Amino acid sequence: MIAEELITDKGVSAGDEWITVAAPRLREALAALKEDGYRLLVFLSCVDHLADSSREWPARFELLYELRDMEKLRDLRVRAFVDGDPPQIDSVHGHPALTRILMPDDWVGHPLRRDYPVGGEPVEFSEEHETWLTPPTEA
Amino acid sequence: MSIEDTTGQGVTITQSGQQGAFGGELLTINFGPHHPSTHGVLRLIVDLDGEKVKRVKPVIGYLHTGIEKQMEALRWQQGVVCTDRHDYLSPPINNLAYALAVERLMGVEVPPRAQALRVIMSELTRLSSHLVWLGTSGIELGAMSVLMYCFRERDTIMDMNEEISGFRMHTSYIRPGGVMADATPRFFDLLAKFLREMPGHIDEYEDLLTMNPIWRARTIGIGRLAPEVAKVVGASGPMIRGSGIAWDLRKVMPYSGYENYDFEVATNDGCDCYARYLVRIQEMRESVKILAQAVDRLPDGPVNVDDRKMLPPPREELETSMEAVIHHFKLFTEGYSVPPGDVYVAVESGRGENGCYISSDGTHKPRRVKFRSASFVNLQALERMALDHMVADLVAIIGTADTVLGDVDR
Repeated sequence: MIAEELITDKGVSAGDEWITVAAPRLREALAALKEDGYRLLVFLSCVDHLADSSREWPARFELLYELRDMEKLRDLRVRAFVDGDPPQIDSVHGHPALTRILMPDDWVGHPLRRDYPVGGEPVEFSEEHETWLTPPTEA
Repeated sequence: MSIEDTTGQGVTITQSGQQGAFGGELLTINFGPHHPSTHGVLRLIVDLDGEKVKRVKPVIGYLHTGIEKQMEALRWQQGVVCTDRHDYLSPPINNLAYALAVERLMGVEVPPRAQALRVIMSELTRLSSHLVWLGTSGIELGAMSVLMYCFRERDTIMDMNEEISGFRMHTSYIRPGGVMADATPRFFDLLAKFLREMPGHIDEYEDLLTMNPIWRARTIGIGRLAPEVAKVVGASGPMIRGSGIAWDLRKVMPYSGYENYDFEVATNDGCDCYARYLVRIQEMRESVKILAQAVDRLPDGPVNVDDRKMLPPPREELETSMEAVIHHFKLFTEGYSVPPGDVYVAVESGRGENGCYISSDGTHKPRRVKFRSASFVNLQALERMALDHMVADLVAIIGTADTVLGDVDR
């Protein structure tokens, strides 16, 4: 089982078990959980808690690793909180081919952040599109 | 050395300079995104040694529609229409994942009749999704006539969708709190006729393909996915069951009352394209079984939760009750709010585990919605299945992986 000192918080949300681990020790925690039987990463995602007043958040970005033990039929959500610009997490250090997955490689900005406007991006191959491709710092 | 040559068919050939096993150079080509067999806009960067596939790198995002972002700007009840559109071959199943997630956060459970109607719509959708898969896969491997048979039955399912929800494809029928409306008598007539005829139709598809020497030559032993590899890459649905692992969320983590139905989990130990074909055929038969049971045992009663804070009051109440008018007004101007927290609900779609993760900050719009799509994860197995096969087999392998690009890119 995962060492207690790695877990900074734990609980149950709407029936789903979760734990929070310290971001710098995420790799260690996930390795221990994999050893423990949680061998399937169901999904990896991130929630941006910018201006989220529903409760106190340790940092702006919450990373989520939904793990599953297919033998014992149990799920566990591992949370890690990161801040900074750009925010960095241990689990991608040393990744051989870190790249954008869905957005084009030359896209400026991160659309799933809360400060990125919905409908803010002009239609591609239109005149406005050229101005959008200029980073805000250079515009 | 690098020679670029556009062949006029959307294929760019680059000679990379690497040596292949037969002394020739490895060719790097773009397979797609406009290739007709890539089911939409999947682009593969393929290294070829002669006709042999040596590397496959999927490049995705060509159908990225920002649905998850869009849902953050929509109220809880409006988000349903977005869930229809990411995996466009199984809208009601995606509705169900979203609806179950919202209901879990709100702590409500829908009445038994709504649960059974949800099962009926899910299974009809699984059938129509498998029919599209079977028809298009047939065409890709040269069995042209299968498509006509499959789309004939798919059209009757579309008719039922239209009857029950008013919309043939993007039904938005399953909603948080229940379903759109109760099914009409005509829907049950259509369904009864469909259930009588469908087993015979599935036999027809099997007559066309199962013992067809060309179909067998093109699929048996092609695209081997070992069970341990299937587990490692996180494959689900017919992909993992075609590798002999009886993993079906309807059985292992039942939702919406699936534990009450008697059905088998279709598996096959073949691990190849043919095994995945047999699994899907078997699943269609099981779906018909589930549908028959659901119709038989359909409970009476309401199809929505009785909660005025979540669903609008009946039309007739608006004329007599001030409170109903207030609820109606609040619901359509502001929507309802969902308690803070997060939840992940997974359902079994035609392609595998389609899950919905929702994080709520207690307002009337979601903080974050994420879809865990089976197509996206199953695509990871592509290179391992396609290695050392011919280019033509790559088409069969993409076909039996049954990816929907709208689901991959969301």
